[in-house]
Amino acid sequence: MSALRGRDTGARASRAGLRGRPGLVTDYARDQAIWNTPAKKAWTLALVVVVLASPAPMYLSRDLTSLLTTVFIYAIGGIGLNLVTGYAGQVSLGHAFFLGLGAYTAAFFGGESTATLHGLGLELWVWLPMAGIVPAVVGFAVAPLAARVRGLYLAILTLGLLFVGEHVFKEARSFTGGAGIGRAPAEPVIGGFDLYARHTVLGVELPRETLFYYLCFALLIVLGVAARNLARTKTGRAFAAVRDRDVAAEIMGVPLLKTKTLAFTLSSFYAGIAGALLTVVWGRTTPENWNLFLSVEFLAVILIGGVATISGSIMGAAFVVLMPRLVESLAPHVPLIAGRVGEPGLLTVFQLQGMLFGALIVAFLVLEPRGLFGLWLRVRNYWKAWPFSY
Amino acid sequence: MSTLVDAPGPSADPTVRALPSRVHDWARRRPGDVCMREKRWGIWQDITWATYWEHVTLVAHGLAALGVTAEDRVAIHSENRPEWLYADVGANAIRAISVGLYPTNPAAEVSHLLRDSGATVLVAEDQEQVDKALDVEEECPDLERIVYVEPRGVRDYDHPKLTSFEELLELGRGHRQAHPDLLDRAARQTSPDDVATLIYTSGTTGPPKGAMLTVANIEFAIRSLLGSDGVFHPPPSSDDVALSYLPLCHVAERAVTTWTNADSGLVVHFAESIDTVQANLREVQPTLFFAVPRIWEKIHAGIQVRMSAASPLKRLVYAATRRLSATIADELVANGGVHTAKSRLLYALGHPLVFRALRERIGLAKVRGAISGAAPIAPEVLRFFFGIGVVIQEIYGMTEQSAVATVNRPGRVRLGTVGEPLPGTQLRIDESTGEILTRHPGVFAGYWNQPAKTAEVLDADGWLHTGDVGEWVEGTHVRIVDRLKDVIVTAGGKNVSPSEIENQLKSSPFVKEAVVIGDTRPYLTALIGIEFDTVAAWAQRRGIPYTTYRDLSEKPEVLELVQQAVNRANERFSRVENVRKFRTIPKELDHGDGELTATQKVKRAALHERLNHLVEDMYGDRRRYAGGDQVEVHGSADAEGGQAPLGASR
Repeated sequence: MSALRGRDTGARASRAGLRGRPGLVTDYARDQAIWNTPAKKAWTLALVVVVLASPAPMYLSRDLTSLLTTVFIYAIGGIGLNLVTGYAGQVSLGHAFFLGLGAYTAAFFGGESTATLHGLGLELWVWLPMAGIVPAVVGFAVAPLAARVRGLYLAILTLGLLFVGEHVFKEARSFTGGAGIGRAPAEPVIGGFDLYARHTVLGVELPRETLFYYLCFALLIVLGVAARNLARTKTGRAFAAVRDRDVAAEIMGVPLLKTKTLAFTLSSFYAGIAGALLTVVWGRTTPENWNLFLSVEFLAVILIGGVATISGSIMGAAFVVLMPRLVESLAPHVPLIAGRVGEPGLLTVFQLQGMLFGALIVAFLVLEPRGLFGLWLRVRNYWKAWPFSY
Repeated sequence: MSTLVDAPGPSADPTVRALPSRVHDWARRRPGDVCMREKRWGIWQDITWATYWEHVTLVAHGLAALGVTAEDRVAIHSENRPEWLYADVGANAIRAISVGLYPTNPAAEVSHLLRDSGATVLVAEDQEQVDKALDVEEECPDLERIVYVEPRGVRDYDHPKLTSFEELLELGRGHRQAHPDLLDRAARQTSPDDVATLIYTSGTTGPPKGAMLTVANIEFAIRSLLGSDGVFHPPPSSDDVALSYLPLCHVAERAVTTWTNADSGLVVHFAESIDTVQANLREVQPTLFFAVPRIWEKIHAGIQVRMSAASPLKRLVYAATRRLSATIADELVANGGVHTAKSRLLYALGHPLVFRALRERIGLAKVRGAISGAAPIAPEVLRFFFGIGVVIQEIYGMTEQSAVATVNRPGRVRLGTVGEPLPGTQLRIDESTGEILTRHPGVFAGYWNQPAKTAEVLDADGWLHTGDVGEWVEGTHVRIVDRLKDVIVTAGGKNVSPSEIENQLKSSPFVKEAVVIGDTRPYLTALIGIEFDTVAAWAQRRGIPYTTYRDLSEKPEVLELVQQAVNRANERFSRVENVRKFRTIPKELDHGDGELTATQKVKRAALHERLNHLVEDMYGDRRRYAGGDQVEVHGSADAEGGQAPLGASR
């Protein structure tokens, strides 16, 4: 009977009158689509085309290519943090630990064995997944602890995790190289083909950063879409329910422990991937690289970008990575700012970067808690309501 | 000048196709095509012709299983939804007569309608309607069965007459197996003179009367309204999209939804409720849109309210395009609703700035046929919509004519008139009374069980006396002056049409109801009900505190606002036609309280009686109640504890 009362789902049901009527949603899939409006589809496509088709990596200076690559990697890590902190509402200061864990896992699987260091020398298709899986397993293991507390206590707990992790990194010399020394990153080699080397494609000589740039972009797309997709599923709604009120969520039948554990596990996976890629760009990394400041930087990515949004994570990553560079290049034109150490001036450019960074986080928290994404929403809503205001 | 216009067109045709056979045809030819959509669980659910016809058959068989036979009445008491159509067409499929009840009908009226029609089966939408029916069930001896569509709240009712819609379909399934040829037989027996439906007139004066519309009446209406020289050009097709939201028991909505759908295959979308019409409009973006003046006024007022709350830049741009649209409107009015080069250019200029977005917001971006009917509308409102490129065609027709009389055809729109006679219509204006008379195959078969009342409106020659006073404009278009019985003759002997003045008053976004009074009185006065939403928003912007509707409508500032609207309306009329005084109506008029008809028309007599103290206050030169004359406004003496009237400056 219900089949009769229900809608006609047959493929023969015509699409009569749907063209040009985005509000006339006739099925749930379309209502919940990732790209549910034509505008979203167009913007995403435009972004992909610009990144892929633009000859930027061929012509940009090598350090700028690296910088953009870093943006993509930060975005991956930021999406990871957004899953646990933005979507599921579990504040984590331990994100840097998982990044580091991913980095050293990758270095172990992908790096060569030396007299002092263990390494398996495997290719990228092994070490990259492992760089995600190992932190995910660790995240899964500590999640039950983290799931028992919330708010301030959770922040302190994850902070403790960070310190424990830093200590372990410093002491596990045969894996990490030890404090102050560190180790070289894994080699991004697939089937004997080194992505991080100079290549000539169709007669054009590519700088060594170029292929890796495309790899990171592709990973960002895949992981970003996966996260966006997760957010619209039952799991994603469970995350939001836990964030908004865990007691209420549990009463509605959302298993708290399972949901929080899943959030931590997924977040750690993303962080591990990002950490592994980050070492390739950075080169040699020491245990001190994965400290509280890096965690805060990733919190800044999601706070400035926009909590619980994927596109916000990407915007935030771009902002956090590119802002220091921008300040640096503008500094010579601003009086009283010393471009280099030793130059006369009131502030050095590094001090200014730090201060701006702090000021921006405060400003966003106070003025636009939804971050850059919130700013975008304002702009969008202004035009969406045109010619009305609401 | 001849006062008779005999428009060529369809006549009574032997090859009549009743609604069930039309739906059956569609189901045979295009079973998988979508014919309706209903919003449920936030999604517009497709309904195909095959499903439509399947339900019609099951309902028909189910009714037959309940003992309904030809000429029995099946009442339908529901908001617009697919089940309405299933029940309506299903009843016709076994030659039974459908009777629509307004969802807002209170129990007392439900009782009257059920008794008067003698309905044996009632299809009630939900608990609300079932409760009304159960309240009066004992007064209705003919009523044998109540079929409820929404089981929520009714499921646990224990009453021998209750059946669920599902059970009805189940009954139908069994009956269909036993009598597979029932519908074919009924279709063959269907004659053009079969009464298909009773449409109860809203009854501004007496109790509602059931107008009998026959199969032939409906057939003529379909051919005349939807033919090549009908309301729309080109005629509706299955590419057209419409929103169904006005009560289906009214002849206009029935014509727009059921008849047009069955004839042309236009895709009908059912609004979730009358409150969500604006949101649904935006989603559906209909190509053909029928609305009563009240809806057009509401859209118009809504735009003004929202614009006044918009940001300065947006207001600036809007103000600039208002100038454009004023010129566009003038051009369109002068040119019969067709763009001239100048208006097209101006429209192209305003399109990217405001028009495109504005029309999208109000859901009229894709509209190709916009119709206003069922009551007179103020030219100001029409001009506004002309100005944004939506040419509204005013249509005139009444239940007793199957809604067929005159329309402003595309390209020949004349503002202030209801257009030219539709194909097949003979239209005559009585020399002595000015009353409009029509004659065509769509004229009804009479009032149900009321031959005396029928004889009052239908003369021996087949002319229908509409009760509307009209006049010819340039020999082609008809202008409606007013209802014959509403025309006011002042003490000075001057004939005044109150509806024109009332519409002028109602074109202000702050005025919802206006009733002009003055029969046998020395001058005109008015009772005015404020539009709560807009006035409340206005008061909020000014920081005027208020508590209730009554409190708001008695605020001196609000009275001043109403006085301005009155003054503006007065400027358009001669001195005798000016409204000298007004009083605000202290409550929102309501159908349930007997002040409005089901179609939201004011019942003048009832209102007069109820608000007689306000009327006497005006003509007795007292100021006990809040209102104003042309010089100053004054609050209510009661509210002010008997103090002196408030000056205008306050």
